Amino acid sequence: MAEHTVRSYADELRRLRDMIARMGGLAERQVADAVASLIRRDTDLATEVVGRDTAIDALEREVENFCIRILALRQPVGQDLRLVIACLKISHGLERIGDYARNAAKRSIVLAQQPAIGSLNGFNRMAILVQENLKGAIDALVNDDANRADEVWAADEPVDQVYNGIFREMLTFMMEDPRNITAATHLLFVAKNLERIGDHATNIAETVHYAVSGENLPEDRPKGDGSAYAVVRPPV
Amino acid sequence: MSDQAMDDKTAAARPNINAMQARSGAALNEAKLAIKGLDFFYGTNKALKGIHLDIPARQVTGMIGPSGCGKSTLLRVLNRMYSLYPGQRAEGQVLLDGQNIIEDGVDLNALRSKIGMVFQKPTPFPMTIYENIAFGVRLHERLSKSQMDERVEWALTRAALWTEAKDRLNTSAMGLSGGQQQRLCIARTIAVRPEVILFDEPTSALDPISTLKIEELIDELKRDFTIAIVTHNMQQAARCADQVAFFYLGELIEVAPAAQLFTAPKHAKTQEYITGRFG
Repeated sequence: MAEHTVRSYADELRRLRDMIARMGGLAERQVADAVASLIRRDTDLATEVVGRDTAIDALEREVENFCIRILALRQPVGQDLRLVIACLKISHGLERIGDYARNAAKRSIVLAQQPAIGSLNGFNRMAILVQENLKGAIDALVNDDANRADEVWAADEPVDQVYNGIFREMLTFMMEDPRNITAATHLLFVAKNLERIGDHATNIAETVHYAVSGENLPEDRPKGDGSAYAVVRPPV
Repeated sequence: MSDQAMDDKTAAARPNINAMQARSGAALNEAKLAIKGLDFFYGTNKALKGIHLDIPARQVTGMIGPSGCGKSTLLRVLNRMYSLYPGQRAEGQVLLDGQNIIEDGVDLNALRSKIGMVFQKPTPFPMTIYENIAFGVRLHERLSKSQMDERVEWALTRAALWTEAKDRLNTSAMGLSGGQQQRLCIARTIAVRPEVILFDEPTSALDPISTLKIEELIDELKRDFTIAIVTHNMQQAARCADQVAFFYLGELIEVAPAAQLFTAPKHAKTQEYITGRFG
């Protein structure tokens, strides 16, 4: 696609993409560090993650103001309009992801005081999967790559599967020994946070698909989260 | 009850549902004008190449494109204005309610009473406001004084000029402001009760408020008239048109409902043009 006739307009759109890329990078790092702090029982790192969330919030406001400015002054149409609207939505999604990461980090501070239960491999696996998806979604936006966005959009199922595994595992720990309940509950919330982060990543991918191609993806996307229907039976 | 009155009544009862649907990207009406395989020549220079375009009834079709793309030429074909000039000729079909208006033997006066045109610069005649409107009507109809008074009031009202002009009908039209003059030209055009109105950049010489008044007027007029508007102002096409056609180098590149063309055009050339990435 050719450059804009008005160079300052092209610069602004480029700057907008850069802001989202920066925000995406920050969010990825928050997710990675939150889970690392959980697995390594590193409360210093967890505290750092909690503190860094304000940077994402600030970026969201910056993106929002910048988008409003572009809409008012440039009156974008076509792909430019789609990009601006997409960035507005994506920045909101990234801000939510940042909140989930912060919440996970807060819980890992509590968990570091609790006896360890089970292996945390599932968390590591989930963190890797959602980070990949998040990175893929942001890369798709930066490179105008609808195919990459589609891959991410269709790749949330493994995340849900790991989440379901953790859900069952935690229920088992709680049934085995009530002293596990505090830790298991916090871990469940952390897993849920990661699962939500994964959902936001697919939403971002969906938005990117629209921004790049001008078409909407179908309503239904592959989903594997069955925990909403899980039932606990007390031991007899 | 005349057809006109009937139309007025039904239009009032059902506030422009078709138009709203069209603006949201839904249905376009049946074609009032159907352009089929139209070629146009200035001497040996082919200015329009194989144009196929339906202009839906009682909706607004916007035509956009860079200078020299053929959009104004197309407008001039639609009311046979080119017939004034030797060496200019059109081939193909332009069907107005099924009748080909570019074949030989078409009564041009009758045609132009059906297809009116408003130009870029307001062109009031150097006579009174009343006479500006009555002049055209007299060419086509014999009306009594009271009928003519009614017609003048109707046209000025439809053109949203009546309240401003009613106390100065017998003063010169040249004393009106630019925006008022343009509304007078619109009143003059609709006074002969055409079926189609062609606008050739009707607001490019007007200030923003007068421009908005004309746009509001176009929105109002499409209840009764089929409208085609050529504009260099893309935002204007976005604001006024139900359907937008993009022309480039004499070809029709893309035509789509306005909401679609300005959010997700199909053709790369359209995308480049509307986003300002041209050339």
